[in-house]
Amino acid sequence: MSPRLRRSARPFPDDEALPEAPRPAGLVLDARLHLLDRQTLDVDGRPVATVDDLELGAPGSTSLSGDDTVLVAALLSGPVLATRVFGGRPPSSRLHRIDWRHVTDVGTTVRLGVHGEELDVLWVERWVRDHVIGRIPGGRHDPG
Amino acid sequence: MILGDLLDAPVHDGAGRPLGFVVDVRLVLDGPVTGLLAAPRVHALLVSPRTGTSFLGYERTDVRSPALLARFLRWRHRGTFLVDWSDVAVATGDAVTLVDGYRRWSPAYPGRDRRRP
Repeated sequence: MSPRLRRSARPFPDDEALPEAPRPAGLVLDARLHLLDRQTLDVDGRPVATVDDLELGAPGSTSLSGDDTVLVAALLSGPVLATRVFGGRPPSSRLHRIDWRHVTDVGTTVRLGVHGEELDVLWVERWVRDHVIGRIPGGRHDPG
Repeated sequence: MILGDLLDAPVHDGAGRPLGFVVDVRLVLDGPVTGLLAAPRVHALLVSPRTGTSFLGYERTDVRSPALLARFLRWRHRGTFLVDWSDVAVATGDAVTLVDGYRRWSPAYPGRDRRRP
């Protein structure tokens, strides 16, 4: 069962009506709701990867403070299936970064302004294409 | 730090009293413009007494269908609140501690466009 706060330990009534927060000036996104698990498409509309995580603040930082302005530096993609099921997080070296400056639109998908070929996140696919698929007879041209 | 470290982290007030868990992080695109879009800035945390199923977002949007599911999930996440990032004393992967005198806000997604995909 996912963690939860027992009803007896909750400090506030559940049905309390809270005021709406002042609306900020820019576009508002909820990270988990609007970004995580979204498909990223490159400038040609080809699928690149899914957004598995976001890099907050300086790389390698372990704590953040409300006094600091914390920015999303990059979208991260990597092997997160096992860690989502069993907990923990993959090592930083296994997470590939896509700098936020490459993002051009956020909607049902996240669109990038670069070609997927230029991104490190697709190195496995490029390696398999060049070293495995390319060595199969007929593997270097369109079957049509 | 990565977002996954913050999500589901327990939230305490300054006295160590448990308040819930971080179920989402609200971002605002008003940071420096380095590409076509401004960089997202961490604006607030969504804190709920439960962690599971909040990723569907029923407790903060106007989505009403499917009706039974929407009502159930909204009821399940009653007590969810929003707290400004400036009210966070320190956030680590283990816990988030709020400053004394922090303010709770409605978790509703702002503006008319609450059905944003």
